Amino acid sequence: MASSEPEPAMLGPFLETLIGGLLTGVLYSLVALGFVLIFKASGVFNFAQGAMVLFAALTLARLTGAIDGREVHLVHFIVAAAILGSALAFVAWYAWREYVARGGGAIERRRILLLAAGGALIGGVVAGAYGKGSWPLWLALPATAAIMGVLAYAIERLVLRHLVNQEGIILFMATLGIAYFLDGFGQTLWGSDIYKINLGLPKDPIFLLEGVFEGGLLVDPGDLVAAVIAAVLVVVLAVFFQKTRVGRALRAVADDHAAAQSVGIPLDTIWLIVWTVSGLVALAAGVIWGAKLGVQFSISLIALKALPVLILGGFTSVPGAIIGGLIIGAGEKLSEVFLAPILVKQFNLAGGGIENWFAYVLALIFLLFRPQGLFGERIIERV
Amino acid sequence: MSARARSFNEVLLSVEGISLSFGGVKALTDISFDIAKGEIRAIIGPNGAGKSSMLNCINGFYHPQQGAITYKGVRRSQMRPHEAAEQGIARTFQNIALFRGMSTLDNIMTGRNLRMKTGLFWQALRIGPAEREEIEHRRAVEEIIDFLEIQHVRKVPVGQLPYGLQKRVELGRALAAQPELLLLDEPMAGMNIEEKQDMCRFVLDVNDEFGTTICLIEHDMGVVMDISDRVVVLDYGRKIGDGVPDEIKRNQAVIDAYLGVGH
Repeated sequence: MASSEPEPAMLGPFLETLIGGLLTGVLYSLVALGFVLIFKASGVFNFAQGAMVLFAALTLARLTGAIDGREVHLVHFIVAAAILGSALAFVAWYAWREYVARGGGAIERRRILLLAAGGALIGGVVAGAYGKGSWPLWLALPATAAIMGVLAYAIERLVLRHLVNQEGIILFMATLGIAYFLDGFGQTLWGSDIYKINLGLPKDPIFLLEGVFEGGLLVDPGDLVAAVIAAVLVVVLAVFFQKTRVGRALRAVADDHAAAQSVGIPLDTIWLIVWTVSGLVALAAGVIWGAKLGVQFSISLIALKALPVLILGGFTSVPGAIIGGLIIGAGEKLSEVFLAPILVKQFNLAGGGIENWFAYVLALIFLLFRPQGLFGERIIERV
Repeated sequence: MSARARSFNEVLLSVEGISLSFGGVKALTDISFDIAKGEIRAIIGPNGAGKSSMLNCINGFYHPQQGAITYKGVRRSQMRPHEAAEQGIARTFQNIALFRGMSTLDNIMTGRNLRMKTGLFWQALRIGPAEREEIEHRRAVEEIIDFLEIQHVRKVPVGQLPYGLQKRVELGRALAAQPELLLLDEPMAGMNIEEKQDMCRFVLDVNDEFGTTICLIEHDMGVVMDISDRVVVLDYGRKIGDGVPDEIKRNQAVIDAYLGVGH
């Protein structure tokens, strides 16, 4: 990270660092949001969230054809199948709604099959047309989204649903297993090279407020765009969960499973929605981080950065994840730039690396004094 | 203290030969009874008799190994809870199961969940059909709030309410679904006399005004004999009595079960 020497006029560099930190923080928020969604609805701390981010980034990078001259037929085949699956899933979802709304029947069942077959056909045609080369972003993005949706569904359906009502630690271990599987399986599928995702974002740095500060404030436009995308996503999700029927149902499930079922909320459907959404959030995070840092294994470690964000914001709070991300993002950058020189000067330490531990120390302090986080529900146990 | 002499013809729900066991523990053994449309039906019995298990079978939380339940003429051996809710069965729980983080209003709104039909998109924007629908549901919910006399706690998170009011909110949430069959699991447990009287009044009013069929579990014999039309008695997972309150009071098996007999 760029560490500028503190100048006599500190405000300029301070603001610059702050802005850079906040922009990174929005991305932390995005990853943390994936955790919060699943934790709220099912009480599972999904350790695999980071692996999902990596998997999404890898998938997108591979689909947009980041490797030159290497053709993997199997991969293309799987991708084609995934699109097919996506078409299927979407169609099935739509048809299911119709089915329920009309009370079901033979005609609806036939229509579902028909639509599914149509979806498969479209999937096959697209895969055939583009399957051998690299895909344009407009095609690769929805395909990756579909793959993430299917993946999330598979995790929920195959692993977690069978562990309902088990101890938290067992669920946690399960997601740990999923995390390592996904990390490895992603590489099995897509290879382990470092890929690039090119979103076509502007690269030249922007200088803001040149009139006020000497040389202006340097802002990376890529970061800016990423932050805007993340912010929009966060707002959309917040509205979705606060204002809609599904949102109310989700909050109900989070509070009490049995009661939610008794008012007619289907648990399976809600969990499926939640996992799918968190899969899509992982995609957004993966794309943005991938474009910023390159797609590589270390992306899955970003999940660990989301941990202190969650401790700060509270595990069950959407606004908490946002604010927590911003605080951590800004805090670690500021500490790196302004605390490190002091340490070097006063104590003759080597300095660097503060960025790596700052978030965790902050989280530890929070654990000691405010374990429920800034916005979490207060933990009160009656004895 | 005499039962209200009412007669009912139509059977809303009938339970036939239900047996339920958890591992080696038999919770219910060959239970059969029916609930008539419009009546107040009580299930009583000593602790551990299987009353809540019975309710959980009707509501789909438990799936009995044997037997079937016929509801509105449709026979089924298994049903999931949200399907039961879709078919007009609402319930409350022995240990209050409210959404503690939400306000009274929001809790009761969740009861309307099944009745909301507009798409997500409109809901998120709060315009057009979604707004009309929201207003309509809010009106229904406000009526329930008025009915249960909990206007003063509309916006309060239910976790902060006293026990008696929480029970009332839970009843409100069940009522919001406009159920045909309302299952109440110990609605008056832990209440003082005044609160019990209020709750009795609400139960009777719901039954009278909305014609809702009610099946309730209750330990307070005075209340049970007072408000219910018919009573079924369970003991150790078996049915030992079934009839109008006056019959139950005279039933020797029931008296033995409650008072204990020397062996």
